Amino acid sequence: MIELSKVRKVFNADNPNEFSALNGVSVKISQHQLTVLTGPSGSGKTTLLSIIGCMSRPTAGRVRLDGRVISSLPERFLTDIRRKTFGFIFQQPNLIKGLTVLENVMLPAYPLGESYSLLKAKAIFGLDSLGIANKANAKVEWLSGGEAQRASIARALINNPSIIIADEPTAHLDTNLSFRFMEIIENFKTEGKTVIISSHDPLVYNSSLVDRLIKLRDGQIEG
Amino acid sequence: MILHPTVIGNLVGSSITTGMVVYAATYGLQILKHWNIESGAELQLILERKTYLISTFLAFAFGMQLISLFLFVFTADRLTPLFVGAMCAAGTLNVNAFGYPTLLLKILNFVLAGLWLVLNYADNQGYDYPLIKWKYGLLVVIAPFILLESIMEFAYFIGMKPNVITSCCGSLFSSENATGLGSEIAGFPPEPMMVIFYLALLLTLLSGLYAYLTKKTTYLYAILSVIMFVIAIASIISFISLYIYEIPTHHCPFCLVTRDYSFIGYVLYPLLFGAVVSGMGVGILNPFIECESLRLILPKIIRKSTLISFSCYSLFGLIVTYEIVFSNLIMRG
Repeated sequence: MIELSKVRKVFNADNPNEFSALNGVSVKISQHQLTVLTGPSGSGKTTLLSIIGCMSRPTAGRVRLDGRVISSLPERFLTDIRRKTFGFIFQQPNLIKGLTVLENVMLPAYPLGESYSLLKAKAIFGLDSLGIANKANAKVEWLSGGEAQRASIARALINNPSIIIADEPTAHLDTNLSFRFMEIIENFKTEGKTVIISSHDPLVYNSSLVDRLIKLRDGQIEG
Repeated sequence: MILHPTVIGNLVGSSITTGMVVYAATYGLQILKHWNIESGAELQLILERKTYLISTFLAFAFGMQLISLFLFVFTADRLTPLFVGAMCAAGTLNVNAFGYPTLLLKILNFVLAGLWLVLNYADNQGYDYPLIKWKYGLLVVIAPFILLESIMEFAYFIGMKPNVITSCCGSLFSSENATGLGSEIAGFPPEPMMVIFYLALLLTLLSGLYAYLTKKTTYLYAILSVIMFVIAIASIISFISLYIYEIPTHHCPFCLVTRDYSFIGYVLYPLLFGAVVSGMGVGILNPFIECESLRLILPKIIRKSTLISFSCYSLFGLIVTYEIVFSNLIMRG
């Protein structure tokens, strides 16, 4: 269970360009479910995801993961949680150019010190389950949009996280690839993972897979 | 004031440390007043964000504080040729009324800074800032002493007059005729003092070993490590120095840091200070052993601290024994 209580996030506080992205958001997100955050641009979806995923800290309020406050943790504990608990899929694949697909996928697992052979086997298995094992040794520059997206998903899964966070994952995908993406999400649900997606793509938030839809506007939850 | 590179180094270092510590102490007061880990208030979150930065730079500031004790003694030793009558740092520290008080404050602040570093290290291992109020409470206690030390140090260096005729260590630490604490300690009879030293060392080491192996009697070891420190300093003045200098009347604890005696003081004193700080650290960490977020890691830290203290005292004992056994001075017979 992820629980946010009275979370506020203010950027550039006390400056003329101060902007309040979240204004007292309180919400509980259940485990093993697909939760979609939706709302217009600037409604605070990405900010909320980044706070849930411990990538940024709230200005006020608390975030709890399984009853434990995580928003107050010292940075090195947060790093550990980010590595082991969350898998991130971004709007852009954000793969590192010059490296192969396999190297990109293995990268987040290096700090955990797993043996190289085991890690490589895990990465190949991940790529295979997403249907791009044949691209493992290809440079990421050579991938199509859909392949790059799937490589980034394989990278998000390399540490076997229990929570997948995806920020506008279908923004740069055509309809077919978006459907393919939702099939992958369905597999995550079958595996018992918690999935949180921010999206204003109807194909995502109207999907029958969605367990809960949270609408955001002006940094607050609607309804 | 004498413009010597070491003097400038001392004053600049002292200013930086004091500035950092005083700034951090004002923040520490905020922590003591407003810290509430259960709260999600904006101020609490600001304090959480800042504490990481503040404890990091304070760790460096207190690291500098530890080094500054030895830099201060080194400086006093280097300035010796400038003062008539001075033979080593003992004479230089006596050129005005601020030398010895500064040294005593530096010794006190060394111990306090060391204990703060021990607390900080343990606190950083917990996910919920378990020792934060203790850590900043100690900081608030330390800050006035650091400030006072800095003022005294400036007064000492600025007030130095090259035409002052000072005393040599022979008169400051003499077992005959002279008065003062140094001379009184120097007047302790060497043989009974040697017995006390070795008995205390044996007791401390046995207690340390027992505490390390069984994780029990840690408080006893902490107390013994402090007593051992005092006895060791008294022993250096009373008899250890005699064997190192191979002169039966020379008790000065400062000549140990000179080139004539292979700078052996820079080995003996850090060992003693390291032993007492890590030994006391065992005692100050022990009350927090039941703390939930430190339950697994704190016993390991306490054991490590005990081992460091034990090793420092053992090494100190070995070096001192070597110096006594192989000295050309024979005090018995």
